[in-house]
Amino acid sequence: MGLMRGAAAFTRYMAEKKLPDGFMEGLSENMARYAFRDLDEQSMDERSAGWVNIMDMFDSRFEGLEFLKEPYIAISLRIDERKIPSTALRQYAKQAEEKIKEEEHLEFLSRNRREDVREAVRLRLLKRAIPVARTYDMIWNTLTGLVIFGCVRPRICDEFAHRFYLTFGMQLEALCPYTLGELHLGRDEASPELMDGLSPTRFLEDH
Amino acid sequence: MQVLDRVRKTAFLGREFLLWLWFMSDTGEGVFDLGEKGKAEIWLDGKITLQSETDRGLETVTCAGEDVSMKEARFALAEEKEIREAAIKLAVGDNEWSFVLDSAWMNFRSFKTPRVINDGREDPDGLFYEKAFLIEEAVSAVDQIYSAFLKRRLSPEWESQDRAVIGRWIREGGTGSAKQRQETDI
Repeated sequence: MGLMRGAAAFTRYMAEKKLPDGFMEGLSENMARYAFRDLDEQSMDERSAGWVNIMDMFDSRFEGLEFLKEPYIAISLRIDERKIPSTALRQYAKQAEEKIKEEEHLEFLSRNRREDVREAVRLRLLKRAIPVARTYDMIWNTLTGLVIFGCVRPRICDEFAHRFYLTFGMQLEALCPYTLGELHLGRDEASPELMDGLSPTRFLEDH
Repeated sequence: MQVLDRVRKTAFLGREFLLWLWFMSDTGEGVFDLGEKGKAEIWLDGKITLQSETDRGLETVTCAGEDVSMKEARFALAEEKEIREAAIKLAVGDNEWSFVLDSAWMNFRSFKTPRVINDGREDPDGLFYEKAFLIEEAVSAVDQIYSAFLKRRLSPEWESQDRAVIGRWIREGGTGSAKQRQETDI
């Protein structure tokens, strides 16, 4: 989801506030390594994911260090997927099965044979499927450590956190009521462990 | 205690935070001092989702409407349902944001910033910095308000005063709605 235009949805994380020594040195190389690559039309790959320019989803070269916007690092995670509509797959598989039955004078096909036919049809259709592209923006404030990622779907968020670790060598901590509390209580020099003693408030019990 | 255990065991803090926000804004206390950044006003606006766990599983109620008092949602609170997410408006100075805040992970959805001046055609970096500033401004305000809630929640006054006052507010909402239902039925 875009953070730059329209309504956004986002999850928050904290990265290390202090960047490791030599962080900038290998950064361009790592960005290139984990940059987005187009799905090859001839390949059977169903999915491709990687970083692109936050202001231009068709630019994954990062030749001018476009991801550095001091004090931010800003990029988008682009995920392209080829999907075959299930009804189309069913229809073409059924047609293929009928053809085999006719050619081989069979009354029915075994389950294994039907599965083979379905897989062959799926691979044939996959080559014709146009990939659907989605981008999820990320803004990382390297001064505060706050990382804002433009998605709230757990599967995509997990993939983002993993790719972030591979690229930047840092684990992200997802923010939630407890971890947010840790941050704020820590700033005020109060012990976050105070939260451990809390239990849900019974507002409607007699006072 | 492991981090994940702590996260699970304190998930109620997000639900109580949204309830507290609603209570504060409904009782005219929804203005918070952000220090150098001035004052922030926050209020629930338009849509609220509540949930409770029963013998038959999870029960979810979503209330939407223009009426700021949201009587049906108040009635659901009185039925011991808890707030799962709420549409919120936030104002700091001349800027106003709207978003849906989720209680479990404090995620933001349907997040809209104030109108940006730069459209990005001539100066993409200008658009980026303006948007980044507006996103961080709202996030930081909500976090500061959450911090104020947490301090109050950890103070002795929460149990000695707030629990009773908020409890009474919840009951009044439930009674008001039940009364209005009766009048409508008649």
